[in-house]
Amino acid sequence: MKKNSTIFALLIILLGVTFICDIFTGNATISFKEVWAALFGGSGNVIIDEIILNYRLPKALTAIISGSALSVAGLLMQTLFRNPLAGPDVLGVSAGAGLGVALLTLLSGTVLLPIIYSLGGMGQIIAAVTGASLVLILILGVSARIKDSITILVLGMIFGYVASALVTILQSFADPDSLKVFVTWTFGNLGDVTWDKMPILSILVLAGITSALLLQKALNSLLLGENYAVSTGLNTKRARILIISISAIITGTVTAFTGPIAFVGVVIPHFARAFFRTVNHKTVLPATILLGSILMLVCDIVSQLPVSNRTLPINAVSAMFGAPMIIWIVLKRKKL
Amino acid sequence: MQSQKRNKRKMKFKVNNSTCFSIFYVCLVIIFNGCNTGNYQKNTSIEKGKYLFSEDIRYAQGFKIDYYEEYTRVIINNPWQENREIYRAYYLVKTDSIEIPEEGIKVKVPLTSISVNTFSYFEFLSLLGELDKVTGVTDGSRIYNPEILNKISEGQIIDLGDPFNPNIEKTIALSPQAVINSAYAQLDNYSLRLTQAGFPIIYSLEWMENNPLARAEWIKMIAAFFEKGALADTLFNNIEERYLAVREIAYEPDTRKKVMTGDIFQGTWYVPGGDSFNAALFRDAALKYIYENNNMSGSIGLDIESILTQFGESDIWFGCEADRYSDLAAKDSKYMLLKPYKEKQIFNNHNRTTKTGGNDYFESSIAHPDLILSDIVKAAYPEKLHNYSFTYIRPLN
Repeated sequence: MKKNSTIFALLIILLGVTFICDIFTGNATISFKEVWAALFGGSGNVIIDEIILNYRLPKALTAIISGSALSVAGLLMQTLFRNPLAGPDVLGVSAGAGLGVALLTLLSGTVLLPIIYSLGGMGQIIAAVTGASLVLILILGVSARIKDSITILVLGMIFGYVASALVTILQSFADPDSLKVFVTWTFGNLGDVTWDKMPILSILVLAGITSALLLQKALNSLLLGENYAVSTGLNTKRARILIISISAIITGTVTAFTGPIAFVGVVIPHFARAFFRTVNHKTVLPATILLGSILMLVCDIVSQLPVSNRTLPINAVSAMFGAPMIIWIVLKRKKL
Repeated sequence: MQSQKRNKRKMKFKVNNSTCFSIFYVCLVIIFNGCNTGNYQKNTSIEKGKYLFSEDIRYAQGFKIDYYEEYTRVIINNPWQENREIYRAYYLVKTDSIEIPEEGIKVKVPLTSISVNTFSYFEFLSLLGELDKVTGVTDGSRIYNPEILNKISEGQIIDLGDPFNPNIEKTIALSPQAVINSAYAQLDNYSLRLTQAGFPIIYSLEWMENNPLARAEWIKMIAAFFEKGALADTLFNNIEERYLAVREIAYEPDTRKKVMTGDIFQGTWYVPGGDSFNAALFRDAALKYIYENNNMSGSIGLDIESILTQFGESDIWFGCEADRYSDLAAKDSKYMLLKPYKEKQIFNNHNRTTKTGGNDYFESSIAHPDLILSDIVKAAYPEKLHNYSFTYIRPLN
């Protein structure tokens, strides 16, 4: 236990370090001194203040929020379905969010959707939340009727496929410009969350993560199988609905604000379990939160390395970074 | 960091399902209330200036310019709405102290620096003698304009990356006085972010105009930001005069040649709708286009079978992507069944290109509709334009 708290302390320090690194690096060349001045009291240069305070700072916070949220969602799914390949997107919620954005982006040029204009910058977010919620309602409807978790998993994936299929059909009809707008969304972007959107994202995710932390006992019982969980007095149906709701809401929210970000949610829970050599959620959940945040911050730093004028898609960076990690764990432990 | 601490503290609470539900309920209420805070405002202004006169706009439907004693007002309309409500209103002022109606965007003119995120404006700025004000561009490798390319290589112009997702940090660091950005049917995060940071975005919507003269007339819109309205008028009058002269020469009431256009892209052959820019060009070049009476302004996606049956007997084909007839045959032997292939009447748009993908056809042609029209007329009816040689298009080898 003592060893664990040392590791936790180190992780928290690492989180702080990556957070600071993320704020100190970017495409614009700004000196250490200037960043420092901008953070504490203003650099006297409006442009530098703007970049640091209104761009890099919310972006780094979004990295922490999305990284921890997706990792927690992935952990919940892996525990509920007792499947190492489960991730935040298995319920089809991300695909549902994608469908919402596709409907908005790809049809708005041809079909009149005047509502978009009254929504300001919230159009894509509302579309994504609506799409994700529709899938969530379907999933909850199904899980109220079906007892077997694996069946729910399979149905969730089917809903996801249907949503993706609809997106493909929409894409085939769309004009090239709208298509590019949509494809750009699928790259994922941590920099889209401005301060005015931050409260909504952080409150929803914080609530989701807090609820997950409250469910630790239930999650631990589920690890030993549903029959065992019932014998401990757990209302499995209720716990299942809660776990699905929490996971879907945080995944849907994050996807709505940042676009789809793959892989982190699948990899981090494994990483957390391997790191602490335990499956107990009391340890794994906070570890997942910390590791998810750190990985996402590192991904954000990597995506902006000055290799070109372009920022690499965060969705791709997270997978390219996450894959070697999981391979390393597998090779080291010879199993998941 | 604080949230982490808070999480740890809350870990100690016991499972309570109803707590979880109530937390989410509160959050949902918050999110849906938050959604109503959209920052786009409609134009309900009380005009604060003394109206003088309006710019004469003859073809373009997407913008208008009104002169007031205190400022010049440039309005960009929303082309995706049937009643074309105001998309953005700019108030061009000489000094920052001038008051403007609340909903507008104040821009101090003449601009001394501008980031141009859409290729179409280089030629406008060049004709207006303002190309030297460009400090930022996007997609630098795909630009054709030699002066811009030169300045990029010398580091005087910064390349901001992908036009659909330009680099925000670099744009803010560059701090142009205004940014020309293409608007799509939804607000993009780049524009929102820059607007919040206080940079005026000039939305370029000329590409939504469906005829060549209307697109060229947008030179007047950008000229206003450099206080060159009179020069833009003269330039546009010349463009219009030359365009109408070519149309007059092309006029062919009885024996119009049949035209086809476009090429296959990932299995779909996109052809322009009857109410589109290209259809207007064909009409003015006295060509017969199958979809000329169709009322779509966008593209129509067809498969190769439909192309063969509908366009197989065309006389001439524009906008082919190949450079040689042999390439075309190698790509798909079905191309050989088309009449333009058999009669060697195929043209591409590759006459002015750079090695890295720049193509002047997508760049300067907006300001020279007379030259595109001349290209088409010359290809279809060479006898009508003896002394003209192709600008943007080229026959396949």
